[in-house]
Amino acid sequence: MKESLMDILCDPLDKSDLELKVTERDGDEIITGRLVGTVTGEEYPIEDGIPNLLPPDMRDAE
Amino acid sequence: MTGRDLAERRGMETNVYQPAEDSALLAEAVVDHARGRFLEVGTGSGWVAEQAARKADVDCVVASDVNPHACESARKRGEKLRAEGHLGIEAVRANLVNPFRDGSFDTVAFNPPYLPTDPDNEWDDWMEHALSGGESGRKFLNPFVDEVGRILTDGGRVLLLVSSLTGFDEVTERVESRGFDYETVVQESYPFETLSVLQLTK
Repeated sequence: MKESLMDILCDPLDKSDLELKVTERDGDEIITGRLVGTVTGEEYPIEDGIPNLLPPDMRDAE
Repeated sequence: MTGRDLAERRGMETNVYQPAEDSALLAEAVVDHARGRFLEVGTGSGWVAEQAARKADVDCVVASDVNPHACESARKRGEKLRAEGHLGIEAVRANLVNPFRDGSFDTVAFNPPYLPTDPDNEWDDWMEHALSGGESGRKFLNPFVDEVGRILTDGGRVLLLVSSLTGFDEVTERVESRGFDYETVVQESYPFETLSVLQLTK
C-alpha cells in the first residue's frame, strides 16, 4: 500500500485513527507492517502490500 | 438456478469472481460517471477498478474485497497498470466500507453478491461468498446502502448494480430511506434477469 492511503483509512471498530508501523518498504510502497488502532490498540497486518482491515471477529473466523 | 450452477455456466475459476455481464454493465457506468477519488467495494478480479484507473478524471483508485485472493488479483492488476503509465490500484482487505474515513470518496461502485440463496444449498467457499446474497439477495446490499453515505464527499455518488433477482423495488425503497436520490444510468435485460446500475446522490 502507498503511505498516502493513511488519509482515507480508519479503525474498522470505531473509525478512530490508525498508526502505521512499517517493517518493509519499497520506495513509497509499504510491503509489510502493521496498522495499529490509536484508541482500540487492535493490530491490523499489512502483508504483500495489502492491509487487512477486517474486524478481528471476521479475521479470526478463518 | 443455484449460484454453483451459475458459476459452472460461466465457467469460472473457484477463488475469484471473473468479469461477467454484470461487471461489464457496472464498468460502463464507471466509464461514464466515475470521477475524483474512486473506491470499488467487492472488487473481485479488479477489472472494474481498472476501467476507473484508465480514466483521466479519476485521481485515485482503491479496491476492497473480503477475499484475500481477490485483493491479490486487484493489486497485481494495479502494478501492471502503473507499469503502463496509468494510475495504480490500492487493494485493501475490508468488510464493505468499514475501514474508510468519513468523506473520503467522490465515487463508490459496488456489484454486490446478489443471488438469492436457500441456506440449505449454500456451499462454503470464496465463490459462494462472491455470488450469494443470502435468502433475500440483499444480505450485503442493505448494510452497504446503510453505511456508504458516511464515506462520500459532498456531491459524491454511488454506482450500484441491481439485478431484478435482488428485487428492484426493495432496493430503491432502502436507498430512499437512507436519504439518497437515485437514477438508473444503464440497464440491460438478459434471459434470467434485468440488470441496472443506479447512481445514488444525496
